Amino acid sequence: MTVKNWQIKRDMAYPYEEHRPRKQWAIVFDLNKCIACQTCTLACKTTWTSARGQEYMFWNNVETKPYGGYPLAWDLRVLERLGRQDWAKNGTYGGKTIFESAPANERALHWAPSDEDWMYPNVGEDDCAGGSVGAGGAAFTTMPHDKWFFYLPRTCAHCTYPACLAACPRKAIYKREQDGIVLIDQSRCKGYGECVRACPYKKSMYNPYTRVSEKCVGCYPAVEQGIQPQCVVNCIGKIRIMGFISPPWAARDDNPVDYLVHKKGLALPYYPQLGLEPNIYYIPPMHADRAYLAQMFGPQAEGAIARYRELAKDPVAQGLMVLMGSTDRIIHSFKVEKGEATGFNEAGAELTRVPVTEPVVERAAWDEGASATRHNTP
Amino acid sequence: MSLRNVLIFSALASTAALAQQPLSIPLVKADLSKPDAAAAVWGSAPAALNVMLMGQPMITPRPETTSTAEVKVQAVHDGTRVAFLLTWKDPEVSEAGPLGKFSDAVAIQFPVKESDVPPPVMMGAKDLPVHIFHWRAQYQRDAERGKPTPKDLYPNLNVDMYPMEFKDMGALPAKGDAERDPYSPGRATGNPQAYAKSGVDEIIAEGFSTSSVQEGHGSLAKGTWANGEWRVVIVRPLKSEGGNVLAPGGKTFLGFAVWQGGQGEVGSRKCVTMMWTPAELGK
Repeated sequence: MTVKNWQIKRDMAYPYEEHRPRKQWAIVFDLNKCIACQTCTLACKTTWTSARGQEYMFWNNVETKPYGGYPLAWDLRVLERLGRQDWAKNGTYGGKTIFESAPANERALHWAPSDEDWMYPNVGEDDCAGGSVGAGGAAFTTMPHDKWFFYLPRTCAHCTYPACLAACPRKAIYKREQDGIVLIDQSRCKGYGECVRACPYKKSMYNPYTRVSEKCVGCYPAVEQGIQPQCVVNCIGKIRIMGFISPPWAARDDNPVDYLVHKKGLALPYYPQLGLEPNIYYIPPMHADRAYLAQMFGPQAEGAIARYRELAKDPVAQGLMVLMGSTDRIIHSFKVEKGEATGFNEAGAELTRVPVTEPVVERAAWDEGASATRHNTP
Repeated sequence: MSLRNVLIFSALASTAALAQQPLSIPLVKADLSKPDAAAAVWGSAPAALNVMLMGQPMITPRPETTSTAEVKVQAVHDGTRVAFLLTWKDPEVSEAGPLGKFSDAVAIQFPVKESDVPPPVMMGAKDLPVHIFHWRAQYQRDAERGKPTPKDLYPNLNVDMYPMEFKDMGALPAKGDAERDPYSPGRATGNPQAYAKSGVDEIIAEGFSTSSVQEGHGSLAKGTWANGEWRVVIVRPLKSEGGNVLAPGGKTFLGFAVWQGGQGEVGSRKCVTMMWTPAELGK
């Protein structure tokens, strides 16, 4: 079958027909703000994966790039198999996706992780890349500054063209019409592990106790009630916002996710060249290596960073950024006016209203009324 | 199916057609209530029929090679039960368990509807269901040594606590599986995979991707492995409600599949018969 993949700006091969859900679950992450506190990871873990067979299972994880990976080197191993591929100058992907480069006997180009690969959720944490000790790597004396790392929080991307769904010979994986969330039917799965093997992001995981594969469920019980997922609402850095993304031809400027992804081009899908149209989007980190970011986020990475640097000149985008983490409800539309950003639910009712810039108040050090010294604490 | 596979398929189907003989299933006076590959009845039964297998060629994912080229089949019945002895070469025992480890397995397939023209041999088709008896070494392990816990599979595993299962339950009343299962979605949804098995699954299918495990209808199985060879006996009642029904003096068709877990075979990565083996039951 031939399907349209807007992230690589071309049609591509996929085992099933194109069928976009009525709404598509999506999360935008601002990687410039993530501090790898793992609160999202634990929020997810305590909600969903605390039982037998899930001991080492993290549907949400935060890893340190470039060295960290859960499972180990998941990204390098699929890129290595794919080999060198290129983007055309016009932003179209000229290389092959994992579906187009699938061996004759398989539905996708993939690799099977081993148990050991899952046992080090964040190896390489805080290890710098760049420069070199003596002749080679991560020196602390080399100038100018070329040491970099960044944190990459990851959930299932509830892809438009999921490789897990494509690979399941039992058709036990389905994508929901109402929100695009991809689920493994826990009553039909027989634990063949084809999804674990096929998902290039390695977000299908095998439960050896139930002998069934499991994955991030997008917190669908919350989403059905208009509430954002646990990993989003528990993010103390307020780096995330969950909403519904439209394809670019149907994008709405007042939809927070559409605004960040389509209108401003601030947030980018990761490894779009793999061909899955993943629906988690990242504002790239400003201080990381640009070649690495281009590999991860495609040719738009440079532009996204440039636009992020100009954010102070755009009160609407600024307003939207402060709406992130300001409500546990799903914001379907927003507006910014008179210095205030407001988020609305699907019915158009107001969910939250926040000042774009917090007011600054100056007070005398001595509080006459209380006869006490004021401290600069909120 | 690629042209290459079509060619292989046609070549194999035609040779198999030439080679394929019917399997004779005589009526015997023997106790078939317990599956036993060492039972005397197999010594006196008609010689084993060699059935050719090939790497499943129809749908992806497929095995890269044919790991099991042949399964030997013997069968007898006692008027109420039919027993099959299936023998094939496998260099090691594979019982699955941790991630990426798969089980040795074998399956026999029957058409559900009685007809001179059997359904498609590749797991039937819509409205042309097949009845499958699927033995797995992994399930036999459940029956013999219990369903493995994560601690059995990963002896060094460490965990602080599981939901509803604390070292000190304090004032909480003791909790059982009913309270814990909601935390294990495979069990909560009643997936047969998630519970201890007896050794053999009964499955109804109407084509690829449709197989569905049925409540047991009294089939039993027992495999033994020695000297690089699995010998598995599958016993089933002649009659089964909603499934294939056999009768003394009657005919049926058989299909076979073998999985070598050690070769990473699971699901559609298997070796299968490319055509039905006719079978005749004595009376």
